[in-house]
Amino acid sequence: MAERKIKVLLSKLGLDVHNRGVITVAKMLRDAGMEVIYLGNALPEEILGIAIQEHVDVIGVSSLGGAHITLGMDLIGDAVKEGIKDKTVFIIGGVFSIEDEGRLKEIGFDGVYTAVATRDEITASIKDLVSAKAVK
Amino acid sequence: MEKEKARTKVILDSRVKNENPVPLYNSKALQDIESNYTALKKKYTEGDKKQPWSVTPKTILGSEIPRDMLYTPLNAPESDYSFDIGMPGSEPFTRGIHPNMYRGKKFTMRQINGYGGPEDTNLRIKYMLEHGGTGISVIHDLPTTQMYDSDDPISKGQVGMSGVAIDSADDMEILFKDVPIDKITVSLVTHYPSNTAILFPMYLAAAERRGLKPETLRGSVQNDITLEEVVRSGPEYIPPKDCFRIQCDNIEYIKNNVPYFNFNTLNGYNLHEFGTSGVTEMAVAVSNAIESLDEMIKRGYEVDWIAERLAFFWSISSDFFEEVARIRAVRRLWYRIMKYRFGAKSPRAMWMRCHVQTSGISLVREEPLNNLIRAAIQSLSAVFGGVQSLHVDSYDEAYSVPTEEAALLSLRTQQIIQEETAVTEVVDPLGGSFYVEALTNDIEKRILDEVDEIEKIGGYVASIEKGWIHNKIANYFYREKELIDKGEIKFVGSNVYKSEDKKPSIEVFRYPEGVQERQKAKLAKLRMNRDNEKVTEALSALEDACRKNTNIIPFSLECARHGCSVGEIFKVFKKAFGLWKPPALW
Repeated sequence: MAERKIKVLLSKLGLDVHNRGVITVAKMLRDAGMEVIYLGNALPEEILGIAIQEHVDVIGVSSLGGAHITLGMDLIGDAVKEGIKDKTVFIIGGVFSIEDEGRLKEIGFDGVYTAVATRDEITASIKDLVSAKAVK
Repeated sequence: MEKEKARTKVILDSRVKNENPVPLYNSKALQDIESNYTALKKKYTEGDKKQPWSVTPKTILGSEIPRDMLYTPLNAPESDYSFDIGMPGSEPFTRGIHPNMYRGKKFTMRQINGYGGPEDTNLRIKYMLEHGGTGISVIHDLPTTQMYDSDDPISKGQVGMSGVAIDSADDMEILFKDVPIDKITVSLVTHYPSNTAILFPMYLAAAERRGLKPETLRGSVQNDITLEEVVRSGPEYIPPKDCFRIQCDNIEYIKNNVPYFNFNTLNGYNLHEFGTSGVTEMAVAVSNAIESLDEMIKRGYEVDWIAERLAFFWSISSDFFEEVARIRAVRRLWYRIMKYRFGAKSPRAMWMRCHVQTSGISLVREEPLNNLIRAAIQSLSAVFGGVQSLHVDSYDEAYSVPTEEAALLSLRTQQIIQEETAVTEVVDPLGGSFYVEALTNDIEKRILDEVDEIEKIGGYVASIEKGWIHNKIANYFYREKELIDKGEIKFVGSNVYKSEDKKPSIEVFRYPEGVQERQKAKLAKLRMNRDNEKVTEALSALEDACRKNTNIIPFSLECARHGCSVGEIFKVFKKAFGLWKPPALW
């Protein structure tokens, strides 16, 4: 049986203007055979609304503007309320301090990526995270 | 129907002619060089140990221009000193816009600042000036840049991040409190035409309250359609043609009323950093400048009068000689365009004046102190290129906004170049290098070819509307990421000589607490205390102006004077112009 395509929703978190990274990731995930929806700039509420409607496996957000902790907490907090935190993989990419990388994981992001991450690392890690959630 | 415009390349090809060539090299000398050159080349390119004579460097944000192992007079055999190179301060300005360059005027040390509320950034501005900074540059936070108020729900958690929060003219007043803005030049990093039309009037209103006359204000705004419609991710965009109109309204108003302010800093920087070659960076900015000048001529202005306040902003990356040659090349090209396409007479109108910034995207997370070296080398290439003003990125920017210590190190990098190395004592020290001159010639042609590509599409605004530029960028940066992953573009400590230390200890910047609450409180007070009837009138007059064929800036200045907020003014633009959906990048 053919494997179902991993479905990913990507978005810029809030008003951050920098989208080179997230577009690169969108293209690389699509090239790696995943189905990608790119939302552009959005707030947590909108991101979760679309994610639920589209039944995505992965929600990925990008933040290079410094608001990753505040908006990241909102996203994960709302996801818990909506009951999709355990069913969906949450990933975040951007410019973070080392301490904040740790905090983002504590908040509940399954994957945290910075500019260092290569294409292969990102795609492999998303596949792993998706299968780990599916097993649960 | 409008007559089809003659293309810049076609015009230059027919008009830039050396009528009385005086070649530097005689044919006997060239023959001698050629026989020795051929022998040397043969030795390395034939036989068992042969190697390629020409290689194409792969560097971050590079233009992939092939390089020979050796350059000689044969790379420009017809070189004519006066025609191609000339004296600094004279046509064709290859060697610089001033005859004595940095001996006469040192490059301005203009480090960018912006975080938290205006109270916070005001302190950083003063700190940099106290430590020898010679110019001010202010960047705005995400909500201000995207033109929403600090109390808008969309701004939650982002106020004072990536820049300073400005909601109204009151904040502008606080931002520059006790800063002598009539003595020192101020660059307001208002990226977009729209936010220039909102924020610059707030700056003017704040200056008015201090009793400063507009003619005492010096500095620059960015005001660039590329930033609003191409190099941006945002929730709402106005259509390109309206955005271009606002760009030109800003130019017209500022030139007429704030005569020593640069009304438009054609921003190649963010485009280059977003992901284009250095050649495309310059071709796009030059095309935008050409289109703006055409529009200003259409509005009835003399090209010499307008062009003398045009300025450019470039990103300087890691391919050292490419960067030096690029600045020299675009300086000569801009002169040729002004003289031969626009018929400019005043030398000042032919000057390619520029501010540059070292490359942010070239900064690496691993072993962050290495970034000090990267930025220092990039800065040196900028100085060899003969730039007017410089910002050096800080080593910690792959982690956060720079700390005070890191920002000071950036300023110190500039001061070390200026005071300790003696490189500023000699004008255009690399001029006359066979390599640099050949590369300058090559890059000038490449930039003009890309300008031509844009003009064939129908001009710069058309190239945005049709998605040409968006596509070009996305393809470039996607491929660049592959080259980095494969290790073809090298980063020491990251993909070559890999660092063992995965978690370097680095002090990072912490945003001040409570900025959003502070901004919201100020806004609430403002909305209560201002004359709201006047506010409504001013906003509706602005909307009328937007819908008519009249310059909108006097109306947005009225809005600023009456205490309208950034978000309230942007709402007027959205209502009057409608929204536009930019082409997808992938």
